[in-house]
Amino acid sequence: MRYLRARPQWLVTIAAIIVVVVTWAAATWGGLVSDLLLPTPDELWSGGLDLMLNGYKGYSLGGHIGLSLLRVGLGFGIGTILGTLLGLLMGVSPTIDALAAPFIEFLRPLPQLAYLVLLIVWFGIGETPKIVLLFLAALPVSAVAARDGVRNVSPARVLAAKSLGASRAQIFRHVVLPSALGEIFIGARLSIGIVYATLIAAEMIAGSSGIGWLILDAGRFLRSDYVVAGILLIAVMGIALDRLLILAQHRIVHWAGR
Amino acid sequence: MSAEISHRQRLFLGSVSVTGAVVLWQAVGSFHLVPKGLLATPAEVVAALIDIARHGYRGTSLGEDIGATLLRALGGFAVGAVAGIPLGLWMGMNRYASAGADWIVQFLRPLPPLSFLVLLMLWLGTGDTAKVGLLALTAFPIIASATLAAVTQVPRQKIQAALSLGANRRQIFRHVLLPAALPQISTGLRIALAAAFSTVVAAELMAGSDGLGWMIFSASQFLRNDVILLGILILGLLGMGLNTLLLSADRGLIHWRGRE
Repeated sequence: MRYLRARPQWLVTIAAIIVVVVTWAAATWGGLVSDLLLPTPDELWSGGLDLMLNGYKGYSLGGHIGLSLLRVGLGFGIGTILGTLLGLLMGVSPTIDALAAPFIEFLRPLPQLAYLVLLIVWFGIGETPKIVLLFLAALPVSAVAARDGVRNVSPARVLAAKSLGASRAQIFRHVVLPSALGEIFIGARLSIGIVYATLIAAEMIAGSSGIGWLILDAGRFLRSDYVVAGILLIAVMGIALDRLLILAQHRIVHWAGR
Repeated sequence: MSAEISHRQRLFLGSVSVTGAVVLWQAVGSFHLVPKGLLATPAEVVAALIDIARHGYRGTSLGEDIGATLLRALGGFAVGAVAGIPLGLWMGMNRYASAGADWIVQFLRPLPPLSFLVLLMLWLGTGDTAKVGLLALTAFPIIASATLAAVTQVPRQKIQAALSLGANRRQIFRHVLLPAALPQISTGLRIALAAAFSTVVAAELMAGSDGLGWMIFSASQFLRNDVILLGILILGLLGMGLNTLLLSADRGLIHWRGRE
């Protein structure tokens, strides 16, 4: 259904962005919206600059970012590795699958933050409960992805390898694993999104550092310039994490689609 | 790769592992393997369930808490769907609409929902408006982008075939585009509801005076481990229930899925 071909689409996108920015500037500079609720463009700029140069309450901006990334890295890393191993086992053995499935199916739709308070009771308020929380958020997602990846390997390929005399270990290493890796990476991208969202929530609910805590604390002091700058930072970091995984996927699963 | 097992065997093994876990959990508590106060036993959780079902928890009944959580999640989800589906359809059919609006959706989608809760609380206070707004903002970008992707993936030949048979735009939309896009839209709705359900608990933990998230948070301040565990169990079962409900609705309503 294409009718108009005259103007390129990116012009429309630029125009839409300009409209939004101009509306924002007019509303805040014109005094329509108090700067306690939404910063003016120059306040946002100076607030962001201030964060970058002076940090926020005890940590430099890099420190907050680093702490958040460390939590994501550990929770996502351990959760994805163990989840994938469990998922591979579940895919290969229906017995293990039947034993583990009830727990995975229970954990997966469970709101991640529900068990944060329990983890705090168990592990105190330091880094451990947050990392365990992110681990538990990543585990079921990657387990299901790996299991489905193994199950969806075409039987014809497995039979072909078998008839050529491959052992079970060889079939797993050279047939099943390479075919399943695509889905494992799809699961990993899904899980990093969930882990990252959970991290921000966990830092807001029980934290004293990290970018999630930063915007919560800035909100308490009505520093809307820090809040908006922080939200933009969170968005950029989220997109960067996703891009990083896509990059790793292209590197490792270079045969995808062929 | 290996021998299949029957549905009955699967069910049996599943109940064995669940029973085993519950027995182990009770044993850990009964033999004081972990300090008391860290873990309530299954028996204590059941006792808490009976107590709360009868007398409620700190002024709100269990039904009210479950209802408050579900109502917020479903309310926000509904607002997100009412805004997201039409926008997605429009963006799918008109490339200027998509050029004008898709960047907003793509910016919102990877953003952790709780990050704009702070702004929403500044704007709307800590009441239900801010929470439902948050859940709508959680569901909206997921639904809008799933709908856009669904419409874009409708095979061009189908539309051209309908056009050459003399269908008008309205007929094409009603009889070609919508049926072909619905399966993917429905998948998007399921993902969005799961996200809204996760987010509602986080929002209730941060600022709430009822709902299951609030119940868990409040229980943690009184070291009521039995209530925390009960809340987690109820939330897990509700999550599984919501997912099953939407899956069967999908199967019943979109009976042509996978048979286009």
